[in-house]
Parts: sequence; structure tokens; C-alpha cells
Amino acid sequence: MTAVKTTETAAPAGDITPPALPPAVTGGAPKRRHRGGAFDRALPYLLLAPALIAILWLIGFPVVSVFVTSFRQLNLGELVRGEIVWTGIDNYVTVLQDERFWTVTLRTVAFTIAVVGASVGTGLLIALLMRVLTPWVRIALQVAMLCAWAMPILASTTVYQWMFDQNYGILNKTLVQLGFDSFAGYSWFSSGTSTLSVVGLLIVWQAIPFLAFSLYAGLVGIPRDLYEAAGIDGATGWQTFRAVTWPEIRSLLMMVTFLSTLWDFKVFAQIWVFREGGPSGESTTLAVLQYLEGIAKSHFGVAAAISVLMMIILGLITFQYLRRLLQTEEGKI
Amino acid sequence: MLKKSAANAAGLLLALFFLFPTYWMITSALKPKGSTITSDYDLIPFSVTFTNFITAWTKPGFLSALGNSLMVTLTAVLAAIIVGITAAVAMSRFAFRGRKSFVLLMLVAQMAPFEALLIPMFLMMRDLQLYEHLSSLVLVYFAVTLPFCAWTLRGFVNGIPVELEEAAMVDGCGRWGAFQKVTLPLLGPGLVATSVFAFITAWNEFLFAKVLIRSQDLETLPVWLSGFQTAFGTDWGGAMAASALFTVPALVFFLIVQRKMVAGVTAGAVKG
Repeated sequence: MTAVKTTETAAPAGDITPPALPPAVTGGAPKRRHRGGAFDRALPYLLLAPALIAILWLIGFPVVSVFVTSFRQLNLGELVRGEIVWTGIDNYVTVLQDERFWTVTLRTVAFTIAVVGASVGTGLLIALLMRVLTPWVRIALQVAMLCAWAMPILASTTVYQWMFDQNYGILNKTLVQLGFDSFAGYSWFSSGTSTLSVVGLLIVWQAIPFLAFSLYAGLVGIPRDLYEAAGIDGATGWQTFRAVTWPEIRSLLMMVTFLSTLWDFKVFAQIWVFREGGPSGESTTLAVLQYLEGIAKSHFGVAAAISVLMMIILGLITFQYLRRLLQTEEGKI
Repeated sequence: MLKKSAANAAGLLLALFFLFPTYWMITSALKPKGSTITSDYDLIPFSVTFTNFITAWTKPGFLSALGNSLMVTLTAVLAAIIVGITAAVAMSRFAFRGRKSFVLLMLVAQMAPFEALLIPMFLMMRDLQLYEHLSSLVLVYFAVTLPFCAWTLRGFVNGIPVELEEAAMVDGCGRWGAFQKVTLPLLGPGLVATSVFAFITAWNEFLFAKVLIRSQDLETLPVWLSGFQTAFGTDWGGAMAASALFTVPALVFFLIVQRKMVAGVTAGAVKG
């Protein structure tokens, strides 16, 4: 997707040197001009140039390059010798024929759906709850959420490792205190599902503050008289939510769900730090698989094919929303 | 009334849920050596010591990792803000051909799944002889944060009435003078908020920091902390102290935004 946009904007950027601009598109700006002339007409392009060059070089080029690399055989040998070996779609065949890829893909999609659903759902509930709280309780909750939000990912991952520690973790100790003796020395990381549940809890815990704060801001913005009108009409709590709240925050909710999907689909740090995708690969997601193939095994071509497939899957999940978002934004610009 | 107290009780429970890991990090870090790893039930600490912080601070690699993280993050954010602000001004104050496409490019580039660009980035940095150099991380973090900075700053510039600049230009300011004396000061709160979010992104980044840097002297804090078991063994108290030290800069920056956001609202009152 980025590649398409890149080529579109590349053309106008080429216009920087000749100061002859078509008069049709200049809009209202020229009237404000104090010193006319070539410099002023080139000025916006000069201001944009650093950003445009940086994006084409550091984002556009890698996007093209990942596609190109995915059609090459590129292992450590080829890399060191500087050889270019084209293998067509061999890398894709290798990846798609590997049963593990499909397991990992399915797992990644399921994990993303679970984490996004849990964090957006809870975030919305907390935002709704915040409206009815006594001010000091609300502030306490907001401060607590800010602490969770501000904690760097690696710090929170380390803390969660400590809380879920097999022998001395506070969670197991608390469960034993509560009478669940079987949790003495219980390992939360003995299976992939259990490991991913802990990772998921960590991600949800850290994702909720952003979601709750944004949704709360949206809720606060709903005009009071709409609720008063619903009250006069004798609407129940649920009816008021359906008729007043929901239509007002629906687009905001879609936006944060979309963003959460983008973020949670490609999570790497938390999963890697807990068990490096283990035990025996059971908590490996696509981002981890890409790392293992590409960096750990130096199969850069195969890893690039996985990256491309990752982008395609993410594109398929978010396509509908992305298209609508671009249309609305285009209207606003 | 009953409903309200039930809601408040739920709110307080949630506050505990969100606060607990921070609480546990700090109390574990403050416990004396030997009383962290214990089978006793120790939810509330009774003695306090700072030895864990000293242990973490003096661990080999901590200070250099902290320095590397600060250096990489601050350089990348500064660059992204400067380049972002020029692009934002161009997008919001000028009418020119290709503007729309450029604004959309910024929006889309923000959503680029950078993790999927790991392989080409690695190959590119290798070709540029930047592999194992902190400048490779500066470049990556600059690229990751730039579209976001440009996009967000564009929103903030849009919020400043163009008439203010025009008035300054009528009064004899050049375009640069008007920008510097009128727009830039009003942009202050927006600049702070944008740079904090960019800072957090770069401060947190793990995958590229792990892949592009192998040598220990050049590690950033997230990578150093991920290998804490090599440094600390099962010394969870030390690990918690190191985590707390890693959290402090991020928390301070978050609190700055909170304050500046209020200041931003007050600055907005000038408009009226």
C-alpha cells in the first residue's frame, strides 16, 4: 500500500526544479504571497523535501526491497559473496508448503483477535464506567492507568516474568494462600496457550489505558441534551446506550480497533522475551517466525517471503477500514 | 446510590489491577537482598533498602545501555521533529500540486508495519556499513516516528489561525519571522506532546535494537534488560530496580505532557 502512494507522490516531487506550475491548482495561497517568484513557489517543495526523501529512502525503498528479496535465494553464503540468485516463487512455495507456517498464521490471527477484542471491549467498559465514578475514584483510576501506560514494554515484561515466576512469583504465592495448593510451583509457561495467555494479559493491561482514555474523551464530547432527551422519553440504560452513545462513538471505536489490530498483529518483544516463541515453538507468531527464519537462521529470502505474507494478511484484515479511512481523510484535506 | 457505590468499588478494583505491577516492581526493588526470593507471603514490605538500585546501577552494561538509549532516542526524535515540522508547515500553510497525495502518504506511512521491514532494513544497514553502529538505530527510529510527527504536527499547525501569521507579516515580519515569532511559540505544547509520544516509541523499541546491534557496548536498555538473567541470575530485586530505573525517564516525560496539555488549553484561550 505504501508503495502505491509512494509512486503517486514521486511525480509532483520531481516538479521542484522547474518553477513552472500549472496555474489551475494554486488555490488561495498565492494571494497571501508577499514576495512572488520562483523561490516562493518552490518553498513548499523545499520544506517537504527532507521528509519526502527520508520516507522514500527509509520506508519506500525497504518496502520495494522486501518484495524483491522474497524472489531471491539469499542465505549467508550469497550475502557474503554478494551473489544475486533469482529463484522465482520458490521461497513462497517453501513457506506455504510448510505446515508450521499455517499453524503460526492461524495462531497469530487468533491471538490478535483475542487481544484486540479484550482490550477494546474492556477499554470501552472502563470508559463508560469512568463517567459515573466519583471524581476522586476516577482520578485514582486514571493515575493507575497512566502508570501502566508509561511503563516501557521491556520493564513491564520483566515485572510480569517476576509476578508469574514459578517458585517465588507473587501470583502463585497468592493462589496458594487462597487455598489453591496445586499452584505451588505451577509453571505458567509450560504450554504455548498458557504462555500466550500471559503475554496477552500483559498486552491487554498495557493497551487499555490508551483505549479507555480516547474513548472516554469521545464519550465526554457527547452533548448532554441528547441524554436528557432520552431520559424524558423514558429510555432504559441499554436503550440510551444503543440510541445515543453508540452512534456517537462508533467511528472512534472503529478507529481504535483498527489501530489496535495494526499494533497487536506484529507484537514481537513480549513474546520473544518470555519464552523466545516456546515451549517448542508453541507461542511463535508470524513476527517471531520471521525473526527466527531471517535473523537466527540467515534465510533472508524465505524470511522476506514471510514478511510479504505478513503484510498481505494484515492488509486483508484491515483493507475495508483502511479504504474508508483514506476516503474520509481525502475529503477532509 | 447503591449503583454508584458498586461502580466506585469496581473503579477502585480496576485501579488496583493497573497499579499492582508498578507497586510490585517498586516494593521488590526496595526489599533487602535475600528477602526477595522467599516463600514467605510478602505482599507488604517491612524493611526498605536501596542496595538493589546500587546493584543495578553498577551492573556492567547498565550505564552504557542507558547512555546509548538516551543518545539514540533523543537524536532520532529531534531529527523527526525538525523534519516533521517543516513538512507540517508545508502541508498546512501552502497550496501546491501534490499536497493531497503527500498528506495521504504521511497517513499511510504511519501505519507501515515496520516489523515486516526487518529483513530489508537489516540488509540495507549492512550495505551502508551501518550494521553494529548506533546510527542505524537512529535512522530506523527517525523513519518510524517521522510520519507520525509530521501528521500530528500538521494538526497542531492547522489549529493556529493563519491570520496571526498574516498580521505579523503586515507588521513587517518576513515569512520566517512570522513563523518564528508567532507560529512556533503557539506550537510549543503540540511540539512537546508529539515529541513525548515519539520518544516513548523509540525508547520502547526492541526488535531492531536486537537485530542491528550485536556488540554489548552498543546495546540499548530494552535489549540489555531482556538479557537481565545473564546479568542478574535470579536476582529479581536487582532486575526490578533496573526496570524501575528504565521506567523513570518515560514516566517523567508522560507527566510533562500531562502538565503541558493543560498549558496547551490555556494557550488556546488566546485565540478567542
